[in-house]
Amino acid sequence: MDVFSTNFRTIDWIIVTIYICIPVVIGIMVRKYVRHLSDFIVAGRSLRLFIAIATLTGTELGLVTVMYNAELGFKHGLSAFHIGIIETVCILAIGLTGFIVYKLRQLRILTIPEFYEMRFGKNVRVIGGILLTLGGILNMGLFLQAGARFMMGVTGYSHPAGLKLFMSAMLIMVLIYTVLGGMISVVLNDFLQFVVLSAGMLIGSYFAIKTIGWNDLFKAPATVDALSWFNPLAEGSGFGSSYVLFMVILTFSAGALWQSGTLRALSAKTPQVAKQLYAWGSISYLARRVIPMLWGICAFIFVSRSPQLLAAFQGPDALNAQYGMPLFIAKILPSGFLGLIAAGMFAAFMSTHDSYLLSWSSVITQDIIAPLRKRGLSDKGRIFITRICIVSIGIFLLIWGLWFEAPVSLWNYMAVTGTIYLAGAFTVVTAGLYWKKASKIGATIALFAGLLAILGIGPWTQGENVPVYLTDKFIGLITFLVAFLGMIIGSLLFPDKTEQKEDSL
Amino acid sequence: MNWPLFWKSILILTLAGYSLLVIFVISGGIKNIIDMLKDLKSETPQ
Repeated sequence: MDVFSTNFRTIDWIIVTIYICIPVVIGIMVRKYVRHLSDFIVAGRSLRLFIAIATLTGTELGLVTVMYNAELGFKHGLSAFHIGIIETVCILAIGLTGFIVYKLRQLRILTIPEFYEMRFGKNVRVIGGILLTLGGILNMGLFLQAGARFMMGVTGYSHPAGLKLFMSAMLIMVLIYTVLGGMISVVLNDFLQFVVLSAGMLIGSYFAIKTIGWNDLFKAPATVDALSWFNPLAEGSGFGSSYVLFMVILTFSAGALWQSGTLRALSAKTPQVAKQLYAWGSISYLARRVIPMLWGICAFIFVSRSPQLLAAFQGPDALNAQYGMPLFIAKILPSGFLGLIAAGMFAAFMSTHDSYLLSWSSVITQDIIAPLRKRGLSDKGRIFITRICIVSIGIFLLIWGLWFEAPVSLWNYMAVTGTIYLAGAFTVVTAGLYWKKASKIGATIALFAGLLAILGIGPWTQGENVPVYLTDKFIGLITFLVAFLGMIIGSLLFPDKTEQKEDSL
Repeated sequence: MNWPLFWKSILILTLAGYSLLVIFVISGGIKNIIDMLKDLKSETPQ
């Protein structure tokens, strides 16, 4: 069986081409509604529950999400499902209690660092903005690469220049409609993409299960260790107890404070809608993990049944495991359906990219450039700078995606880069909202502590034979702990001299 | 612990729960979009 032979035909190209033109048209049509900065960044805070769920799902279920979860399923089997369960429970807990998101929405802020200034002053806002941007942009550094790999796998296009071509074309499409319409455009496209993507995921799951067989899906392939295929705590599963603990802290903090997701809560019509959004959205969070993992698992079982395919993924010249899932679905889905799935996944790619570009650009404008300018910035000026930032980040992503190849799974790369921001942000926002004694110095220490997560990148090149205390998961846990202790010790030793603004929050 | 049975239950729950959510969101979302555009339009100076 030829590895790159797929069922992708002319009709599939036509479906994908028509589909990717729609967001651009929407971007142009809704441009007239963008008058204020809040229209551009939080859609005038007009999101009601269902559209908020659709746009949250559209953002948090990107093509990169599908790719890294499928990769986890491909590499680790059913044991990878545990991450989905952990994340779902965390999101549900946030939704039921309103922890962090309810209060943030009440404050009517546009970005998370805006809260830093309210509570801890301008300097903390700028530091927080810089670290958020650093972690956030690095975090999305491989989105474009993963998306292009998916399109190459599905279309069967294996030309050496394919990665560059797909990355460039995909980026240009997203930039056009995000720059034009801002959040209003993003929300409308997210809804459309939610519909297409959800249909694609459910149809794809049907074909994947049908190909592998329902009963065979729950049997470990002969080529893997049966225990570690099912049990995330088993030795050899690639996870273990410290990884599970890291996932609990990471997914809880990301659920509450990942700027692109939190932006949906800040865009909600009322704080109550923000809370409901998380409670109902928890089902989406389960699906965004489990369904792509299912595809990855089916892909591995499929590959393990063919010696030729199995050989392509083993040995020194092995194909990147990220190709496993797209090649699998491109071989089992009939032409026509494949175009719909590719369009759905492309939709997922765009819906995540637009929101992330908008999130990090608005942080640069609102939390770094605007506070540092002595003269104020008009709404028009801020929208212009945000648009410039969107394009600049896009160019960076193109260069980074072409140059950098993560020696670990995509998810581990994202977990480490995400921790740079999350460890500090989670500690600072939680303490700022719920602890009267939290001080500027404590907040600054906690934010800088997030940089410790970078140490987790070093051991990546050393393979699996590194001591536990040098693994990225252990360093990730320590980063959260240091940020937490830094906030407590810093606040107790160096309390703020001026009266806290907390009463007004 | 019977891991295969546990993961089987999770998978069924996910597929069924997400299918229902999709139906609710599509039916409610269209009305939400109309209302949102009305809100934004009413604030736009003619």
